[in-house]
This record gives sequence, structure tokens and C-alpha cells, in this order.
Amino acid sequence: MLKVNDLNVYYGAIHAIKGVSFQVNEGEIVTLIGANGAGKSTTLNTVSGLLRSRSGSILFQDEDLSHLPAYKIVSKGLALVPEGRRVFLQMTVEENLEMGAFTQSGSLDPALEQVYAQFPRLKERRRQVAGTLSGGEQQMLAMGRALMSSPKLLMLDEPSMGLAPILVEQIFEIIQNLHRAGTTILLVEQNAQAALSVADRGYVLETGKVVSSGTGAELMASPEIKKAYLGG
Amino acid sequence: MVFFSYLFSGISLGSVYAIIALGYTMVYGIAKMLNFAHGDIIMVGGYICYCSMSYLGLPVLLSVLLSMAVCTVLGVVIEGLAYKPLRQASSLAVLITAIGVSYFLQNAAQLIWGVTPKIFTSVASFPMPGDLNSLGLSSEAVVTIASCLIIMVALTLFVNKTKMGKAMRACSEDKGAAQLMGINVNKTISLTFAIGSALAAVAGVLLCSNYNTLIPTTGSMPGIKAFTAAVFGGIGSIPGAFLGGLLLGIIESMAKAYISTQLANAIVFAVLIVVLLVKPTGLLGKAVPEKV
Ligand SMILES: Nc1ncnc2c1ncn2[C@@H]1O[C@H](COP(=O)(O)OP(=O)(O)O)[C@@H](O)[C@H]1O
Ligand SMILES: [Mg+2]
Repeated sequence: MLKVNDLNVYYGAIHAIKGVSFQVNEGEIVTLIGANGAGKSTTLNTVSGLLRSRSGSILFQDEDLSHLPAYKIVSKGLALVPEGRRVFLQMTVEENLEMGAFTQSGSLDPALEQVYAQFPRLKERRRQVAGTLSGGEQQMLAMGRALMSSPKLLMLDEPSMGLAPILVEQIFEIIQNLHRAGTTILLVEQNAQAALSVADRGYVLETGKVVSSGTGAELMASPEIKKAYLGG
Repeated sequence: MVFFSYLFSGISLGSVYAIIALGYTMVYGIAKMLNFAHGDIIMVGGYICYCSMSYLGLPVLLSVLLSMAVCTVLGVVIEGLAYKPLRQASSLAVLITAIGVSYFLQNAAQLIWGVTPKIFTSVASFPMPGDLNSLGLSSEAVVTIASCLIIMVALTLFVNKTKMGKAMRACSEDKGAAQLMGINVNKTISLTFAIGSALAAVAGVLLCSNYNTLIPTTGSMPGIKAFTAAVFGGIGSIPGAFLGGLLLGIIESMAKAYISTQLANAIVFAVLIVVLLVKPTGLLGKAVPEKV
């Protein structure tokens, strides 16, 4: 479904992504794990068009996205829940969700109902300004907003960052629900343990390069990965 | 009774400031830049309306619409040619460019229309009932105030109720996230310039109708005052621009009437400074971290 091949991304002179390749097949949960600064966000931001690659290809359903502006990529069926949530703080919960459906035509009600069913908290707070939500609620809003475009591939950048353990668990449960409902997922996490336990496959990123890959179980069993990312 | 006359002229002047300030504040909210050429769009709006009425003999309403159309195109073209290439540049570079555009427009107007003042026939002149007239309320003031109210209500509805209006607010908060939603940020910025410039044309026509003369620098001082009004009310805030414009007009009019004509401008800016010292974000501004 998504095939990234030999991707190179620079910030000015800084070579942040050095020939990264990976792929996500339809129906999978794939995770990119790696330490802070490894290049996980840069990779997702490049796939979603916010950053430009210098070389390499990004094929989504056999179409090269690497030269499309970000605003055209959503309608191809790709949605990103960015790092740090980035909900529109001065807009209400429902307005945020409406923005998520910006490219959709026709009534928003079915999509809204679906999102509210998944996140009942958001329904209770639909008229509230997003800036007044707690961190966990904002994360749910960011996810709900991305789902409003009914994406085929949902990309999540550290959805558990800064959340209490109980909320992290909840977020991962939701990710699995979405997956069961047919959404393909590309998950970026520092929380390698949690990410690998839900993922079909994973890639480990280190200073802009893929250093190993395998099924979730394989990676969790690998001694190096255990040592570097799973705390023992 | 004289007091009311000053009050009405203050509200009327303030309404013009408010209409201009709305353009300033919308553009600032989205493009995060001070479009110093905004005041000169007012002047162009005045000249277009003048030419349309005097040379082409078109009726008032058509002339106003023509002036709005020309200014809309001008605003979008300026944004596309002068500001868009500077999207990643420092805010100082953008500011200097805007000042350059302002001089360019003034000089172009001088070249086309000369420096001798044009006598602008009011587009809003009609007989007023005697008792209102004796209170010092002119038909121009009525039309100006009414226009300002209509514009304010329409803009508020647009920004809060329509999809494009909400997209504008989204862009003003976070352009990256807005793009992830599928919003074309460049198009949204153009639209903002279009709306702001159309409003500037209206302000130009109203301003000239109130003062009856038109020169290439007609827009400068009202532009600066309106910018002040936008900051006064809280730059980026639509109700703030409205409130700031009205208050500024009233303060200026009262200062002229009861303190000193020469000092009126100084008093206006002194009030601004005091307000900003007490509340740095302006009257209705939100304390949002700024990147400027
Ligand atoms: N805006 C930026 N400008 C310059 N360098 C950046 C920028 N954003 C990220 N980087 C650098 O690129 C590398 C990858 O960062 P990032 O993709 O954010 O990592 P991760 O998401 O894995 O923590 C880091 O070395 C980081 O310092
Ligand atoms: Mg990151």
C-alpha cells in the first residue's frame, strides 16, 4: 500500500533521513521505533508532504506522492496525526473535526457519529474550545480529526507522548480497534514495548537509517533491541 | 448638542478605521505580516470610484462595486508577486517589502492621477430628517456606520459559520496542521488579501465621501491609524479591530474638539501606548505565543 524507497531528507545541510526504505501492506500495523532524534517524525512528515525529500520515492497505491503538496495528499487517503497533537486550540472540538473532513463533500454527520462513537468524550465536549481539553482528550481529538477524512492509511506520530499510563493503554486499545475496523496503520513510537506488542511488523530507525526490521515478535525477542529500546 | 455632533463624527471616523483595521487584522492573523500597503489600497479604491463616476459616468453602486473588484484583484496580485515569494523570509524582509509596495502604489497613483486633489462627490449624500440634522448626524455618517456594522456582522458569520472561514481560522493557528487537513494555505492567504482589499475599497469610498478630497497619500494616515486601532483592539482579533477602530475614532474626534486639533494624533497614540503597557495583547487580544 505504502512503499517508501531510498528516501533522503535534509534540513538545510543536515542530512536527517539517509536512504530509508520501508513498506506498509494493506491491513497491517507497522511501527517505526527509535530514539529521540532518530528521524521518525521527519519520515512521517515527508510522507505526508509537510517536508520535501531530496531523493527517493514515496509510492502510495502505486502513485508517487513525493512531489505533491501536503494539502493534496489527504484526499489520496493518507492522514497524519502529528507529533504534539497540533489540534486547533482556539476552535471547538466539533470545528476541529469539521476541519478534518475539509476535503470531504456531502454531509459530515455519518463520519461525526463514527468518531463520537469511538471517542464518547469528544461528543460530550463538542462545543468546548480544544484549548480547554486535557492532553489525553486532545490526543483523541487529533485522532478523531484525522479519521474524519476516512483515511486508508492512518499515520500516528507518538500518540502516547506525555500521557498517563492508563491513557496510553486506552490510546493503544483505540489503535487496535481502528485496525480491526479495517484501517491500515503506520505507528511511530518511542514507547517501543507497547508499539511492538500491537504491530505486525516494525522497523528500527537510528540516526536517519533503518538498522533492523522484522515482525513485532522478532524485534521484541532480539537481544540488541531489548537492550537498546526495551530497557533490558 | 455640539457634543453629539463630535460623537457622531467620531463614531463615523471610527467606523472607517474599523473597516480598514479588519483588513489589517485578518491579514496579520493569517499571513503573520503587517501589510503596510493596506492603507494605499484605500486610496486606489477612492480613485477607481472617482474615475468610474466622473469619467465613465457609472452609477454610484456600480462604481463602488467596480472599485471593490479592482482592489480585490490588486490585493491578490500584490500578495502573489511581492509577499508570496517571501513566505520563508524573515518578518523584517516582509515588512520592508510592504513599505516598498506602499510607496510604489502612492507613486503610481501620482503618475496616473497627478498630485492635484480630486474633488470627490459623496456617494452617500441624501437629505436627513431635520432633527437628526440639527444633532450633527450627516447622511455620510449614517451610511458609514451602517456599512461598518454590516461588514462586521458578515465577517463574523463568515469566519465562524462557513467552511472557508473556519479554514482561515485553522490556517491562522497552525499552517502545517491546516495543510494536513487538506487546506490549501496559499489559496486561503490569497482569499484573505482579497477580502481585506475589498473592504479597503469600501473604506476608501466612505472616507472620500466624508472628506471630499482625494490625493495619492489619502490612505497613509488612515492606514496608520487603522493599524493602531487593530493593535489597540488586539491584532488578529476581528471584534478587537471593530472595537479598536470605533474607540480610536471617538478619542480622536473628542481630542480634536475639546483638547487640541494639533495634538489629536499625539493623544491617540498616547492612549495606544498606555493600553499596550497595561495589556500588551490589546483590548481583546489573546496571549498566544507569536513567532514574529
Ligand atoms: N526543523 C528542523 N531543523 C533542523 N533539524 C531538525 C529539524 N527537525 C528535526 N531536525 C533534526 O533531524 C533529526 C531527526 O529529527 P526527528 O525526525 O524529529 O526525530 P524523531 O521524531 O525520531 O525524534 C534530528 O537530528 C533533529 O535534530
Ligand atoms: Mg518525533
